[in-house]
Amino acid sequence: MTTDATRATDPSAPTDAAATPTADPATPRADAATPAVDAATPAADAAVETRPDQAVESRPGPTDRAGEARSDQAVETRPDPTGPPLVPAGPRAGAFWAWTGLGLLIVLGLAALTRYLEQNVPVFAEGTALEDIAAAIEYPVYAIVLGLLGNAAVTLSGLRDRIAAAFRTEFFIKTGLVLLGASINLAVIASAAGPAIAQAVLLISGVFLFTWWLAGRLGLDDKLRALLASAVSICGVSAAIAAAGAVRARREQLAYAASLVIVFALPSIFILPWLADVLGLEPAVAGAWIGGNIDTTAAVTAAGALAGEEALQIASIVKVTQNALMGVVAVALTAYFTLRVERQAGAARPKLVELWHRFPKFVLGFIAASVIATWYLDAAGSDGKATIAVVNDLRVWFLILAFVSIGLEVRVTALREAGWRPVAVFASATVFNLLLALGLASLLFRDFAA
Amino acid sequence: MSIDETPSTPPTAPESRFALNEDWAATLLGLLLLGLVLLGVIPTGLVP
Repeated sequence: MTTDATRATDPSAPTDAAATPTADPATPRADAATPAVDAATPAADAAVETRPDQAVESRPGPTDRAGEARSDQAVETRPDPTGPPLVPAGPRAGAFWAWTGLGLLIVLGLAALTRYLEQNVPVFAEGTALEDIAAAIEYPVYAIVLGLLGNAAVTLSGLRDRIAAAFRTEFFIKTGLVLLGASINLAVIASAAGPAIAQAVLLISGVFLFTWWLAGRLGLDDKLRALLASAVSICGVSAAIAAAGAVRARREQLAYAASLVIVFALPSIFILPWLADVLGLEPAVAGAWIGGNIDTTAAVTAAGALAGEEALQIASIVKVTQNALMGVVAVALTAYFTLRVERQAGAARPKLVELWHRFPKFVLGFIAASVIATWYLDAAGSDGKATIAVVNDLRVWFLILAFVSIGLEVRVTALREAGWRPVAVFASATVFNLLLALGLASLLFRDFAA
Repeated sequence: MSIDETPSTPPTAPESRFALNEDWAATLLGLLLLGLVLLGVIPTGLVP
């Protein structure tokens, strides 16, 4: 899952068929009857906007067998419903890969610059008035700022939508989290699992119900309520996408929820570690608070890194636990909307196997890496620490790639047309989440010891 | 049109398999890199 929903459905995105690889009529996305997974790119959006309403209403329902079959065929060649531009068929494929390659070079270049600044700015600033500040600035700050500057540059140059397929925040962050598992002793995961699960269940339930209730009071559409409640209570854009699939929300609703997540997450990366310091929170409590409060996994990792290594580890465990519960919420939403909100005669009940389908598999990699590294350190002794340090360096690189991508992906234009009510709901839910997470983290992770 | 009013575009489909594949890809890449480091293929000092 990516944060590309923002990009994919942004009304300001280019609709020039010649400039957009996905406009190729040979691709399935040009087919108005193709399920909505195929309509996530700017080109497809343009096509959808001109479709007659009948075409929309004749789309297969969630239980339509033919629709499922077409959807399955579609996903063989394309990313998730809000993902970056698809790989086009035919002669445009070469241009697509060329632009994506350029995008990857830009991401890698900004990541390398981040690493260079992180390692050298403190050295350059030694003996100057900026020495303390330079030493305090960590790589997430450089990465996000450089990503935002890069965003401005590629937007102004008109390159942004062509190279956007390279901004794979979620892939980078998930790979980084698997590598992070290698630096966390299995005993820490085992000790933190209990309070992390308790916090996740209480927090998701409390924040979801509060957001659902408030959005209902303000008269928001049920599907947007589900998206906002899932995004703010579980894990941001990933949860919004899972919820969008569960309730069959409209793409612009998903784009809107994703935009809100990113816009709110960015300042949280800096504010929460600062607040944790001001409040004098223990590292474990700070980590649990950050992990339970910030919506996107990438932003949690950035904030955790700013708060310190122990806080980062706990924040990651808490966030990964919330990610793991996403499947439960998605299945519950599917059942609720199928059986209650949009009653359909003969609608099939969601199957339990959906829990597995929606389970974030990288969680298994995170745990496996911890098991392997714990075993390795037991076997290799203190000599093994230098080896694990190499894994940590790789982890930092992937996190930097993710943070640079966050900066490159930010797009606020999708928020302009939405009105104030969803923003008010999201802001209120964020404050509620902030307070509830602080209370739960203080209660469950006080005096935490692995 | 407000975001929560009458639909103008089709609904999103249930989450595609690509998201799951991305999860597996991240898992496999992460574990592969871990394995390469532990086996010494990626030695200390190689990663800047």
